[in-house]
Amino acid sequence: MTDLWGKCKEFLKDSISEVEFNQWITPLQAQHKDNSLVIYAPNKFVLDNVADNYKELISVCLEGMGLPRAPAIHFRVGEAPRQEDDPAQARRSGKPAEVWESNLNHEFTFDSFVEGKSNQIARSASISISANPGKAFNPLFISGGVGLGKTHLMHAIGNRIVDLDASKKALYIHSEKFVSDMVRSIQHNRIDDFKRKYRSVNVLLIDDIQFFAGKERSQEEFFHTFNALFESKQQIILTSDRLPKEVHGLEERLISRFGWGLTVSIDAPDLETRVAILQNKAEHMLGAHLLPEVAFFIAKRIKTNIRELEGAVRVIKAHADFSGEAISLDFTRNALKDLLAVHEKIVTLDNIVKTVAEYYKIRVSDMVSKKRSRAIARPRQVAMTLAKELTDKSLSEIGEAFGGRDHTTVLYANGKVEELRKTDSKVDEDYGNLVRILST
Amino acid sequence: MVEMARQLTLPIGLKRRTRLDRFIVGPNAPALAAVGESIKGEGEPLIYLWGRAATGKSHLLLGAAAEIAEQGGTPAYLPLRDAETLDPAMLDGLERMALVCLDDIESIAGQAAWEEGLFDLFNRLRAASVPLLVSAAQPPTELPLTLPDLASRLTWGATFHLAPLDDNERRTILIDAARELGMTLPRASAEFLLRHYSRDPHRLIAFLDRLDAATLAAQHRPTIPFIKRLLEAPETAD
Repeated sequence: MTDLWGKCKEFLKDSISEVEFNQWITPLQAQHKDNSLVIYAPNKFVLDNVADNYKELISVCLEGMGLPRAPAIHFRVGEAPRQEDDPAQARRSGKPAEVWESNLNHEFTFDSFVEGKSNQIARSASISISANPGKAFNPLFISGGVGLGKTHLMHAIGNRIVDLDASKKALYIHSEKFVSDMVRSIQHNRIDDFKRKYRSVNVLLIDDIQFFAGKERSQEEFFHTFNALFESKQQIILTSDRLPKEVHGLEERLISRFGWGLTVSIDAPDLETRVAILQNKAEHMLGAHLLPEVAFFIAKRIKTNIRELEGAVRVIKAHADFSGEAISLDFTRNALKDLLAVHEKIVTLDNIVKTVAEYYKIRVSDMVSKKRSRAIARPRQVAMTLAKELTDKSLSEIGEAFGGRDHTTVLYANGKVEELRKTDSKVDEDYGNLVRILST
Repeated sequence: MVEMARQLTLPIGLKRRTRLDRFIVGPNAPALAAVGESIKGEGEPLIYLWGRAATGKSHLLLGAAAEIAEQGGTPAYLPLRDAETLDPAMLDGLERMALVCLDDIESIAGQAAWEEGLFDLFNRLRAASVPLLVSAAQPPTELPLTLPDLASRLTWGATFHLAPLDDNERRTILIDAARELGMTLPRASAEFLLRHYSRDPHRLIAFLDRLDAATLAAQHRPTIPFIKRLLEAPETAD
């Protein structure tokens, strides 16, 4: 009987502020049984707060209901026992944590992954691994900045492996979840269940392993999981926003193991790939292609993050659903005006000059000076290349902004930086960092 | 009689109930529609609402939570502006909720424990297909977050800028809020308040509580001369 709790909630709603009510009372569930009201909170923090601050009010309410004897109040962390006739709740509750489930996202497949120059090698390696899991390249380490499709690719591998052999057990887990699962297992004395769960899979996909940094106990446990899976020739796929050796706080022995297989990187997509990604998302979300001028309009303005491209399609969809209007260029410009204003505002030439100068710890005045020492010329070349990539300015305008230089100087800088990014990982990392700083 | 009894038990007047259908739409209809779809389970998994103070961000979040609760679901609403008195541990288990609303997310920017906790929550909500509504003063790309992974994920959803209301809409809010308190606020009085007191909806609505108490105590209608006298009187009760 939850009606009793319903009445209590009505009473509380009238007795405390609306924000307080929504913050502390609405996340609660309750079960009234055997003259006890058991109140369930999502976590201990909420439980302690409710017990400390609202138990008395709840008692007052229960006593005022005219029952022969007021029910006793108990607090617990978790969910109220499910009612069989509540399918929504049953669906949300899922299976007990100990039972294995693959939790792969079936929308992340190779078919929905848009190939471009920036991810070609990573995609090819992934397809090859899917056909030969545990043997071709193990582990596969996918590195790349946020929002470039690492998670999509790892799910695609898992999905393909399971499609080819339904008996394969693929498990996707974010590294933070791995850590919290482990901590919970230790707290509840169930570490053996934890080990069994992770060591019994055929494909283990661990996302964003940079979150293992500095978490020694988790690294220790993961090290053993890794060994067990590797020795039994099960496929391991890892992602990170940087290369293994660049993850500070990761143990040497793990870094070394990550290098046993293949490391591939995904870079920011070029314009054509961004357009193709937009068309793919539009096909999926709107059931139609975008007009080419609409796709180019967006792709020219959102340059570094696929999630953001997807976010833009979502905004367009919401506006189109609401107004029923066709998605023209004018419509798109209007729907995205706030989103795009942000991009155009942030990535200005002045901002690039200032940010790059700060990054390399040189003066802004040096960036626009005639000085040609490498310590100044290199950051200046990086800044010019960023200006070409991240703004719509002409080469002449860029050259002008860097101390009245000619447009050919900008072209030369661009070629030089592109060449260095291929041969010098430090330059490539610095460039990636600067793109991120300027774009987020 | 009923009014008097209510006044005795609840001296600050009737508790307001924020509801989606009381949202003054103004230029923000697409955002309201998207929130409505989301809570029906048919819309976007993440809706990000941003705008300056008093543009209705909290209203949409509280209204959505109320609607989910009315349908028998269990929503969670977290006012992150109070993060100093809260703890990231309160994010645990929220993937079991039917809806999660994070109000004023900019308040936790730069706090590593909160940012990591929200990043982890984001991943859990996505895995469990639980819709997330977020409000902030800035768009996701301008939030001063230190965790790029969280910043990136916040750009994934449908982002809406909530534009400020015009004066007609502010007047409507004021008259509607007064009606909720059982008070009929003449249009001219509402106009007077906008012109001489404040155009900030939060401040205006807060003033209504004072006006409500004063009209009840004096058994007087909220006319312009009455409001004028009240504004000139010291605010001892507040």
